[in-house]
Amino acid sequence: MTSASPSVPERLVAFLPNLRRFAISLCRSRELADDLVQAACERAILAADSFAPDSRFDAWMFRILRNLWIDHLRRQKTAGPHQELDEARDLVVPSGESAAHARMDLAFVLDALQKLPEEQREVLVLVCVEELSYKDAAEVLSIPIGTVMSRLARARKNLIELTGISFGEKRSLDKKGGVL
Amino acid sequence: MTKQNFDDETLMAFADGELDEAETLAIEEALATDDALAERLAVFMDSRQMVGDALKPLIDEPVPDALLASVRKIAEDAQKKTATPQENVVAFHSRPQADASLRAKPRWLVPLAASVVALMSGVVGFSIGQSGSASNESAAAIATALDREPSGQDVPLGATGSVLRLVSTFQAEGGELCREYELREAGSRTLAVACRMDDAWTTRLALTTPVSEGYAPASSQETVDSYLATIQAGAPLSSDEEKQALNR
Repeated sequence: MTSASPSVPERLVAFLPNLRRFAISLCRSRELADDLVQAACERAILAADSFAPDSRFDAWMFRILRNLWIDHLRRQKTAGPHQELDEARDLVVPSGESAAHARMDLAFVLDALQKLPEEQREVLVLVCVEELSYKDAAEVLSIPIGTVMSRLARARKNLIELTGISFGEKRSLDKKGGVL
Repeated sequence: MTKQNFDDETLMAFADGELDEAETLAIEEALATDDALAERLAVFMDSRQMVGDALKPLIDEPVPDALLASVRKIAEDAQKKTATPQENVVAFHSRPQADASLRAKPRWLVPLAASVVALMSGVVGFSIGQSGSASNESAAAIATALDREPSGQDVPLGATGSVLRLVSTFQAEGGELCREYELREAGSRTLAVACRMDDAWTTRLALTTPVSEGYAPASSQETVDSYLATIQAGAPLSSDEEKQALNR
């Protein structure tokens, strides 16, 4: 409640690009991401009292958005899987990127990311894109740090494996470590 | 020479800068002589780099005007409201709370104004006065359906004309298996969440609303969603996962 720290509504607008990036990474569709971002902002306002001013605002917002995303998945499940196929194509193709080979590499990575299970992709994005610590990621996902680490390790081995296949250069992965 | 063994997670933590000084040093030393270790480490360094390169630039994308405008408005409205303190906000602070990390817990009750709520802990089935239904017989039928039927399925219950729709299956925070379902009866519609404990289904939440146009007000679904968020419900299981989980 210190007057020095900005309130939740004050922070929301500044945090939009970040929140939107996280949303797009999760749901792979800009249209859906924007809906999620807006819903998350609405919910954040309603729940503003539950935000502790000395805790991380980003982790708190990510958690709200991620829970909404899970809700969405749950409902979509009953509607059937057809929607996701259309949306999956609508992923990131950054306009600023000029080098053709870089674009191709990028396409492989994005493709591989889409093949990861939801629970692996979300932890990967939180740590490797949003640069949250394991501890903060654990808080966002409401799971123990040990689970964050095991999921994250699996996600990264799977990702390398998947992109390795795409690039056509087989890396000698340590199979004993338990890929997949 | 004693070759130290580092597991994947330790190597990954090294790549992510999550190790303390002593552990970091130990790995750096080992890397100097152990090529296989370096190769394994590369998986974690490369993957971080790759994902970062692929997704980080998204932050530079301009936020669409419509989104920006509506969030600005949400924020401004909220600030106006806090400027004039409100007394008509329902306070739930006195409710007992099991877990301090779920401070926002009672909020899922907020969108409820229009629905009749029944919160119960007991055997599946809710013999609620208002809806006047759900005999023991249908409770057993519901439990059987919860045990067997895949999500997305509509199950007619006996000759009453009631239909049970299985919505989804997921794990709650404690790892127990839970299912969301909807019971459509002649005069009402009930959204419910039940969890399986010791082979019996326990109702965690049941929201009954009178049927007007055959669908419940959005607030019921919202309430269920908020409730699921507070119990840290996991993502819905795929049909294969669901089959396995139900057979366990």
